[in-house]
Amino acid sequence: MRIIDILRKDLKIILSDKKSLASMILMPVIISSILSFALSGSFGGGVSGNTSQFQIAIVKEYDDNEQVDKIHRGLTSSLIAGSFDDEQRSEIVENALDLDIEEIFFEQFLGNEELKKVVSYRVEDRESAMELIRNRDVAAVVILPEDFIYDMTINLTTPFRNIVDIQVIGNTDYIIGSEVAESIMSGFADMTSSMIIGKNIFIETALSKGANENAFEDIDIIIDNISGIMDNSGANVDYIQLEGKTPVNSFQYYAVAMTTMFILYAAGYGSRTLLEEKDNITYQRMIIAGTPQWKIASGKFFMMFIFAFLQILVMVTYSSLVLNVNWGNLINVVIVSLFIIFSVAGLGTMIAAATFKAGNYKMASVFDNLIIQIMALIGGSFIPLEVLPRFIQNLSFLSINGIALKSYLRIMMGYDLGSVVSYISALLGLGIVFIAIAIFILKRKEGLRHA
Amino acid sequence: MTFLKVRELKKHFKDVKAVNEINFEVKKGEIFGLLGPNGAGKSTTISMISTLVHPDGGDIFYKGESILKNPKPLQKKLGVVPQEIALYPTLTGYENLRFWGNVYGLNGSLLKQRIEEVSKIIGIKDRLKHQIEKYSGGMKRRLNIGAALLHEPELLIMDEPTVGIDPQSRNHILDTVLELNKKGMTIIYTSHYMEEVEYLCSRISIMDQGQIIASGSKGELVEIIKGNKRINLKFDNISDTLLGKIKEISYINNVEIISDEVAITTNNGEAIFKDIINKVSETDSSILSIDVKKPNLEEVFLHLTGKALRD
Ligand SMILES: Nc1ncnc2c1ncn2[C@@H]1O[C@H](COP(=O)(O)OP(=O)(O)O)[C@@H](O)[C@H]1O
Ligand SMILES: [Mg+2]
Repeated sequence: MRIIDILRKDLKIILSDKKSLASMILMPVIISSILSFALSGSFGGGVSGNTSQFQIAIVKEYDDNEQVDKIHRGLTSSLIAGSFDDEQRSEIVENALDLDIEEIFFEQFLGNEELKKVVSYRVEDRESAMELIRNRDVAAVVILPEDFIYDMTINLTTPFRNIVDIQVIGNTDYIIGSEVAESIMSGFADMTSSMIIGKNIFIETALSKGANENAFEDIDIIIDNISGIMDNSGANVDYIQLEGKTPVNSFQYYAVAMTTMFILYAAGYGSRTLLEEKDNITYQRMIIAGTPQWKIASGKFFMMFIFAFLQILVMVTYSSLVLNVNWGNLINVVIVSLFIIFSVAGLGTMIAAATFKAGNYKMASVFDNLIIQIMALIGGSFIPLEVLPRFIQNLSFLSINGIALKSYLRIMMGYDLGSVVSYISALLGLGIVFIAIAIFILKRKEGLRHA
Repeated sequence: MTFLKVRELKKHFKDVKAVNEINFEVKKGEIFGLLGPNGAGKSTTISMISTLVHPDGGDIFYKGESILKNPKPLQKKLGVVPQEIALYPTLTGYENLRFWGNVYGLNGSLLKQRIEEVSKIIGIKDRLKHQIEKYSGGMKRRLNIGAALLHEPELLIMDEPTVGIDPQSRNHILDTVLELNKKGMTIIYTSHYMEEVEYLCSRISIMDQGQIIASGSKGELVEIIKGNKRINLKFDNISDTLLGKIKEISYINNVEIISDEVAITTNNGEAIFKDIINKVSETDSSILSIDVKKPNLEEVFLHLTGKALRD
């Protein structure tokens, strides 16, 4: 007896079962459509017009005039100025006052054409910014600290290094928006810190050589360079695009969320089929004919595998054509899908083996009615994970659909396969463990004879 | 060499001695009957022969070779019709037959041809395209048989293949069994219907409570109760006084109530009617009918066990 014959029979049975087909193929299509439309407002993609994907609010905790005074005072204070003579000091002060951090940050960095495609900003006071984020009018709030200008200036013009703490508060309803805001800010921080390091090396060498005027005149050049880099801040924006954080919209999110959840029902369906064969005496009939048990179980594994693949195929096709969902690189989608369904089919086979041995459908029912729901919840299939409490987010790795969802979202955002290696290895590992447990359960004791 | 030999075969489930050290032989080309009431151990015996259940003791030899040591030769040549319908309800008749053909390694045009032949034998050719859950009970039973015939088994085991079906399907099945046997197939037929076993089988073992209590041809079995008569009496009302009075007749071996009749067995056919009428007249019941039965396996069973074959 060939496994392919068993598999064909198992597939025919599921295809002849209109109720299961409806609940496993039609339902995800319908639910993902409803959810996408109903919740599209809460996603970054839907916020504003076509120029910007995200709006962020920027809060200035500092006072412009006070900062200039502070720079002046700071640079002439004994601590900083002690190591320079008068002329050097005035040079530094002059340069420092020339360096317009605000201009660099707002005009040159955030005003960069590339960046403007991704994010647009408005400056607000703290209270109204928080109001905006609560009302989901912005994806994130960026808080520039009290001494932002002063510290940045010191960092960029003197050998000293002050810590600048830029806070990004994300709106939990925006899956991607806040993440983008954060990555933009850390991009800014990275860039300035590399300039600071460069400058420090320069200053240190200059000082060790017995600093003279000429050396410090070169600070002009450095600062020009900084501005130049800012002007040409493509590098930083490139960084963002390199990471490929194309925002995911609600249609994409729920297409993935429902796909990853509903393929679990393929496992739920499959988990009953082995015991069903026994109740149906068809299992015994196959054994009588000399069919090894592992072939019968393999039929179930491949049935779930193929059926889950079919579910994914339907969802990808439907969501692409009707909901305009872009799943990203199709080959990557297929590869990720194969790992996901391997794991799902393994899980289904394991529960099928346990259900078979138990001789009742309790386990399969608990899986269908409870475990899938829990997995769906902690995996982010119902509500985006970001909204859920931290401890639930930390549990999401326990759910196959959670891992699957993350993998698909990454592919959607344009990441390459390398970035999902840990996810797909986890899925592969889980699948292997599940199958091993299934074999163990089936082999135990009366594995060969069946009353 | 005996075709199939069952030696001291034993299977106990906890404290139920389902099969308790039974012995019998099946000869090539015969229809062997296993007759017994529900719970006698017939299905358990069948399960052990078909290598599904491992015996607790004893052995089964197919052409001299133990099937416990090597089940493969028998598995290939064996067709089993389980007591229950062992088919896929949502698949069509054709799909079911094809799958069970696959199970026995049949594929392609040979399988197609066999499906054709088998569906002719079981007489459901016109319904093959329908899902079998829409079949009548009789049709399902026929397909259940058909699924065991595709690989042209040498030995066919049928476990109560006529339970719960209409007389027409039942007759069709009985004729099919004879037909298959005529073509050379050896058949083991189990039933609790003695008429079927009488009609079909050349040799019969009667089973009860895990044991074989008698074996032989129908003629040989009836010999056991030679001289015994079975008489069924109908009364307008059956009371304990009535039964007590009847039991007073010394040469009545057995008194049994079967539905609304009182069945008695006796080996004195001469005086019985007079004595019964006398005894009944001492009660307030009166006789409605007297029916003298021809000796059959039912009575053999009653004689051997003191109870009716059918409950
Ligand atoms: N798997 C089992 N577990 C426990 N008892 C069983 C099992 N199978 C059969 N029995 C018991 O063994 C006895 C014989 O059953 P069975 O072989 O089905 O009889 P038959 O087929 O003659 O009606 C019955 O008492 C039945 O309850
Ligand atoms: Mg039985």
